[in-house]
Amino acid sequence: MSAAKQASGAAAPILRVSGLKKYFQSAHGKLHAVDDVSFDIAKGKTLGMVGESGCGKSTTGRLLVRLHEATAGSILYDGQEVTAASDRELKKLRTRMQMIFQDPYSSINPRHTVANIIGEPLKIHKKVKGAAEYEDRVRSLMATVGLADRLYDAYPHELDGGRRQRIGIARALALDPEFIVCDEPVSALDVSIQAQILNLLMDLQDKLGLTYLFITHDLSVVKHISDDIVIMYMGQIVERGPTEELFARPIHPYGQALLSAIPVPKLNARKERIILKSEVSSPIDPKPGCRFAPRCAYASPECAAADPALREVSPGRYVACRLAEQFV
Amino acid sequence: MENILEISDLRVHYFSNRKTVRAVNGLSMGMEAGKVLGLVGETGAGKTTLALSILNMVRAPQGKIVEGSIRFAGADVLAMGKRELRDMRGKDVAMIFQDPMTALNPVLTVGEQIAETVRKHEELSIEDAWKKAQAMLETVGIPADRAKEYPHQFSGGMKQRVVIALALACNPKLLLADEPTTALDVTIQAQVLDLMRKLIRENGTSVLFITHSLGLVAENCDEVATMYSGEIVEYGTVDQVFGKALHPYTQGLFGSLPDLSAATDRLKPIPGLMPDPTALPKGCFFCPRCPHAMDICAKEHPADVDLGGHRVKCHLYAAAGAAKGAASAAGRRAE
Amino acid sequence: MSASATTTTAVAAGRGSNFARALRRSGRNFAQFWRQLSRNKLAVISLVIVVGFAGVAIFADLLYEYDFVTSNSLENALLKPGESGTVYYHDKDIEHTFILGSDNYGRDILGRLVHGARVSMIIGFAAVAISLCAGGILGSIAGYKGGLFDTLIMRATDILLSIPTILLAIAIVAALGNSFFNLLIAIASSMIPGYIRIVRASIIQVKDQEFVEAAHCIGAGDFRIVLRHILPNITSPIIVQSTLNVGSAINWAASLSFLGLGILPPKPEWGNMLSEAREFIQYAPHLLFAPGLTILITVLAYNLIGDGLRDALDPKLKR
Repeated sequence: MSAAKQASGAAAPILRVSGLKKYFQSAHGKLHAVDDVSFDIAKGKTLGMVGESGCGKSTTGRLLVRLHEATAGSILYDGQEVTAASDRELKKLRTRMQMIFQDPYSSINPRHTVANIIGEPLKIHKKVKGAAEYEDRVRSLMATVGLADRLYDAYPHELDGGRRQRIGIARALALDPEFIVCDEPVSALDVSIQAQILNLLMDLQDKLGLTYLFITHDLSVVKHISDDIVIMYMGQIVERGPTEELFARPIHPYGQALLSAIPVPKLNARKERIILKSEVSSPIDPKPGCRFAPRCAYASPECAAADPALREVSPGRYVACRLAEQFV
Repeated sequence: MENILEISDLRVHYFSNRKTVRAVNGLSMGMEAGKVLGLVGETGAGKTTLALSILNMVRAPQGKIVEGSIRFAGADVLAMGKRELRDMRGKDVAMIFQDPMTALNPVLTVGEQIAETVRKHEELSIEDAWKKAQAMLETVGIPADRAKEYPHQFSGGMKQRVVIALALACNPKLLLADEPTTALDVTIQAQVLDLMRKLIRENGTSVLFITHSLGLVAENCDEVATMYSGEIVEYGTVDQVFGKALHPYTQGLFGSLPDLSAATDRLKPIPGLMPDPTALPKGCFFCPRCPHAMDICAKEHPADVDLGGHRVKCHLYAAAGAAKGAASAAGRRAE
Repeated sequence: MSASATTTTAVAAGRGSNFARALRRSGRNFAQFWRQLSRNKLAVISLVIVVGFAGVAIFADLLYEYDFVTSNSLENALLKPGESGTVYYHDKDIEHTFILGSDNYGRDILGRLVHGARVSMIIGFAAVAISLCAGGILGSIAGYKGGLFDTLIMRATDILLSIPTILLAIAIVAALGNSFFNLLIAIASSMIPGYIRIVRASIIQVKDQEFVEAAHCIGAGDFRIVLRHILPNITSPIIVQSTLNVGSAINWAASLSFLGLGILPPKPEWGNMLSEAREFIQYAPHLLFAPGLTILITVLAYNLIGDGLRDALDPKLKR
């Protein structure tokens, strides 16, 4: 059935995540970093994943490229199960899915030159023959991400954050991947540099037909770059929908509060701000029931009874809230 | 109106073995009492150095205030002795740092820290100081009985509330808030700012709000100053600057931000990088990145042009300023 | 044939330029490192001393023949520094000046120090090399793999550390016999736990950085990650530790020889020279001072270099 559905859909999802869980063992119990998350991404699209620190968005990204092993659930990439891939299959998968990291300072090895960092994937996967082809390929990758040719032999410490992030992007592109997990790629950068990198990522998507999972806590950035958005809270997806619609009319009470909290750099743009009470509760062995209930203005005792399922409340809009209908 | 803070021609340099980092370069500004001034700029613009200079806390021997004057409520900060400075810091001028964890002492309870600060500046018994500490915590929304807890028992947002309580404990006249919410999540940021706004309004505190976010300035400040390479390139009320930004750098900052209300295809970033503070260009510091650069920009450092209280350091407006502000400039000189 | 020759030259030229570039790069790095180190005058003086001693050790045979410094000449016993005497050596009498005097068997003290330097240097470097390899590998496994490996290796290290070093060394020499090689093993094994700990701690610090995750992500194997990404980032503490260890290995060798557990006379070694000199402390103190000061200066020099390297290699101190 699902195969038929895929065939009929205009854009078949390249990535399908279902029931994904990751629990970390901590001294006090099991930390539910990612707790039953399901979503899919269509080829050539950008899925924005937003949420506050500790909501499990980075862990989700790392699970997809298997930097963490999932506790349960399935990640189907183009029909292949990532969680069960053997070492050899995984190595092959990594030519197709890559990751861009948050911190341009710690994500590149300070002891290697720019060329060595960008060219390493080529060497590992034996993508080039001979020194000349290697050098050509590295130089063309540098040109693709807008790094000056003279930086070929430079060391990272000679470069600023924006250029370092370009190195990280070039490294991710070296193997011609189709899918890239962008884990907060611009949050460590200044606004003017941030805009340069965002434009670069969007240009690359247009040119190379890339698919992105764009993880960030910056809501204005995610709105700018994403086609669809999922909002995470304490390891779970609370809301999912097309970007424009979701920003125009968030349904989940957390989504409403989150979007209302964005500071807008415009005169008289101040809207009614929803100030949430208290802070995120502990993710270690959380009680069943809606995770957001303790901070929610609409919560009633029934909310704590059972986990609300993510369900479609209006076309294309998925919300995990018992009371979703009343906010539509 | 009396200016609570008056800085003129401030220059702060940092010296390392061979190079001189010019962090603040001839910065002049005034701050009206009771106003909230937003200081916007990117990493390395010299925002934090400016805040530290106001407290005369630039670290010797690397850092040095080379030139200029800072007057707080009429008194010359740079001429103050150790004792006067100690009295001023914390009591008249308080500072909130970006990282709440480094601002709190991990081995003292939060109540002790607030009480200690209060007792340093006010004649209070230990019990009274403790009561005041509890009252301060209540005003920032922390139950009084948590005064006995240590900083690590608080979450990030709660810690920043404690820092705010600590800063406001002695009713300072001026609060220097250096990226007070950058380390916090948006929903927590909204909580903390909401609280700060309330307290500031109640006490009539003047605030220098240092941030890199134009959004926060629009929502929290009365006036804005844009800082670039150690100088203020544009200064005006929020209405003036957000209504029509004049300096190409400020315009560039706005262009770099994704617009929430309209779908934009591509952002308009500022090309290039901030100049190396050890080798600043001869003319306008922004000239190498400026889309409107003219011949004169590379040769001559622009002076402030005053367009009815909206001041901008840019050659583009020299003519307009001369025509419009001839009279007012003369007036300013007379002052 | 000519075509193939041109390709070869072209490739060689390409390689050459790459190589030249790499050379320039390391030259640049070294120049920067040297600038940092040369700011520490004590370290530079120490380096000169150490290099001088190494030169003496290497060319010891040119300065004094080995047989000469090990054969007795009782008529010249206990000469003061600078005195000369006639030595019957290789079937003939030769006139010889004892620059630092002679010991109770009439052997030249300076000559014995020179040949002792050779023993000390070899023990110093060999013991460090052995313990570095063993400790490095074990520490890498413990730090990188973690889990059961980590627990086993670290508990073993704790046990090794709880035995006093001198006891451990005595036990090893007593069990295996008194020889140069066993002395080396004894000293090296006492330094292994230190390396395991330092390598493990540094690896744990580095392995959670994003660039290691990035290396996983581009498909690099564990071996490559440890060798290319982790180890180059932890060389500084290892170099510093090793420099300090050379000094302490020399110290240990002297101590064990002093106790009669290492190199025995008539073979020249600083520790056993010191031991033999004890009896004559009253009327020939120079017998004691010569090897004592030599040990002191050598060990001090290595420690000062270690401190200098620590500052020069610490990226936090770079300005």
